[in-house]
Amino acid sequence: MDAIELEGLEKRYGKKVQALRGVDLSVRKGEVFGLVGPNGAGKTTLIKALVGSLRPSGGRARVLGLDPLKDRTELRRRIGYMPQSPVLYDDLSGLENVEFFGAAHGVRGLRERAREALRFVELEERANDPVHTLSGGMKNRVSLACALVHRPEMLFLDEPTAGVDPRLRSRFWAAFRELARGGVTLFISTHLMDEATLCDRVAILRQGRVVVSDSPREILRRGRTRLLVRENGKEEERIIGGRPEDLAEALHAYGLRKSVSAVSVETDSLEQVVLSIIGEEA
Amino acid sequence: MRRTFVVGRRVLRQLRRNPRFLVLTIVGPLVIVYFLKLFFDTFPEGFDTGRYAVPAAAFIVHFMAFLLCAIALVQERTAGTMERMFVNGFRRAEVIGGYVLGYLGLATFQAAVALGEVLWLFELDYDADVLASLFAVVWLLAIASVMLGIFVSTFARRESQVFPFIPLIAFPSVFLSGLLMEPDELPRWAELLGRAFPVFYANEVIQEMIEPGGALADVWTNFAVLAGYGAALLVLASLTLREVE
Ligand SMILES: Nc1ncnc2c1ncn2[C@@H]1O[C@H](COP(=O)(O)OP(=O)(O)OP(=O)(O)O)[C@@H](O)[C@H]1O
Ligand SMILES: [Mg+2]
Repeated sequence: MDAIELEGLEKRYGKKVQALRGVDLSVRKGEVFGLVGPNGAGKTTLIKALVGSLRPSGGRARVLGLDPLKDRTELRRRIGYMPQSPVLYDDLSGLENVEFFGAAHGVRGLRERAREALRFVELEERANDPVHTLSGGMKNRVSLACALVHRPEMLFLDEPTAGVDPRLRSRFWAAFRELARGGVTLFISTHLMDEATLCDRVAILRQGRVVVSDSPREILRRGRTRLLVRENGKEEERIIGGRPEDLAEALHAYGLRKSVSAVSVETDSLEQVVLSIIGEEA
Repeated sequence: MRRTFVVGRRVLRQLRRNPRFLVLTIVGPLVIVYFLKLFFDTFPEGFDTGRYAVPAAAFIVHFMAFLLCAIALVQERTAGTMERMFVNGFRRAEVIGGYVLGYLGLATFQAAVALGEVLWLFELDYDADVLASLFAVVWLLAIASVMLGIFVSTFARRESQVFPFIPLIAFPSVFLSGLLMEPDELPRWAELLGRAFPVFYANEVIQEMIEPGGALADVWTNFAVLAGYGAALLVLASLTLREVE
C-alpha cells in the first residue's frame, strides 16, 4: 500500500476558483516527495485536503490507507503537519508551543520529547524565549519541531524553507533526509525547482493539475543535452537526448578528429525540462 | 477531558503573558463604573441609584467577557492555530471547553472587581446573603457571556466579521433587558426579544435581590435559565464550530 493515493482529487472555492482539477498521485512509504508549483498552483489546498482540514469537492484520497475526513481521528495521530508560514502562539515560548501540540497526542515524557524536537531543529538554546522575539527562520524551526514532536509516520510540510537562508535551508534538507532514513514519509511543498532535485520523487503542480510526477533524474532524462564541438575554429552544436548513453553514441558518431579543439556538454536544468513539458502540453 | 485542560492551561498562560491586556480588561470596567458614578452624581439626592448601578456592572462584565472571548477565538482561526489544533487531534468540544476554563478565571475576577467597586462607590449596603446571590448571578452571567462569545465566533471567519455582532448583542441588552426600565412596560414582542439575551435573567435576579424583602425563592428560575442558557450555547457552539473547511 502506498502512503498516499489520490484519484481525480478536485477542490472548488465558490463557483469561480477551481484550485484542484483532478489530481492523480501516489507517494510511496518512506520517500521524500516534493510538490513543486508556482504561487496559486494549489499546493496548500492539496496538503489541507490530505491532512483532513479541507473537504475536497470530488475525487478520492487515501493517506496511510485512511480517508482523511472519515478516519481523521486515527489519521491525525499518525501524521504531522507544518502549515505554510509558522503558525504558533506568539506569547508563548518555543518549548511551550511544542509541548502544547505534543500534549494533544498524549506524548509520554513530553518535556524531554519537546526538548529533543527543539534540539533536532537546533534551537535548544532559545527554547524558553517567547516566539515573538525569534527571527522568521527560527519561528519556522519551532513550527517544524511542533510538527514532529509526536514522531509521526508521515509529515506534511507546506513550504518549510520559504524565507529560510541558504545555510539553514541545507540544514533543513539534511534533517528531512535524516527523518526519511528513520522511515518517515515526507510530503514537502516548495516553489523552488532546485529543491525538487533533493527529493526522491516530485510532482509538478500547475493550475491545479499535476504536469509530471516522477523522480528528478527521470524528469531530467526527458530534457535535451546539447553537444558543442569546436572544429577548425568553427562552433558546431548538436542536440542529443537527455540520457548519458546518448552522449557516448553521439561522440562515437562524431569521431574525435585532431581538428576538434574543444567539446563541451550543456544539459537542461530541471526547470527548463519542466517548462518544455508544459510547453508541449499547451 | 485531559486535552480540555491542556487547552485551558494554554489559554490562561497566554492571558498571563499579556499583562497589558489583563490590566486593561480589569481596569477598563473599573473606569467605566467610575464614569457611571459621575453620571449618577448629577441626579437629585435620594434617587435610587442601586437599581441601575448593579445591573450596569453586570452588563459591563457581560460585554467584556463576550467580546474578549469571541475575538480571541476568531484570532485563532485567522492565525491558523485553530486548524493546527484540529490537525493535531484536539476535538471541538475540547477546544470550547478549554476556552470556557481559561476565561472562567478572568470572568470570575471581573465579576468580583466590578461588583465590589459598584458597592463601594455607590455606598450600597446589602446583607451577606444578598451579596452572595448578586455575585453568583453576575458570575453565572459572565459564564453565559463567554459561551455567547464562543458561539458568535464560530460564525466569523475574520476579526472584522465579529464587529457586526457587537451592537447586535449590546444594544438590545441595554434597552430591552430591563437595565433602564421595567421590561413589562415594553410592547409584548420587544419584551420577548429581550428574553433572548442573558442580561435579562441576571437583571431579574438583581432587581429582586436589592429590593428590601426580596427573596431568592421568587427568582431562582432565572438562575436556572441563565445556567441553561450557557449550557445550550455550549452545545450549539460545538455544533457550529467547523473542524473541516
Ligand atoms: N479560502 C479560499 N477561498 C477562495 N480561493 C482560495 C482559497 N484558498 C485558496 N484559494 C485559491 O486557490 C488557488 C490555489 O491556492 P493555494 O493556496 O492552494 O496555492 P499554493 O500553491 O499553496 O500557492 P502559494 O505558493 O502562494 O502558497 C489560488 O487560486 C487561490 O486563490
Ligand atoms: Mg501555499
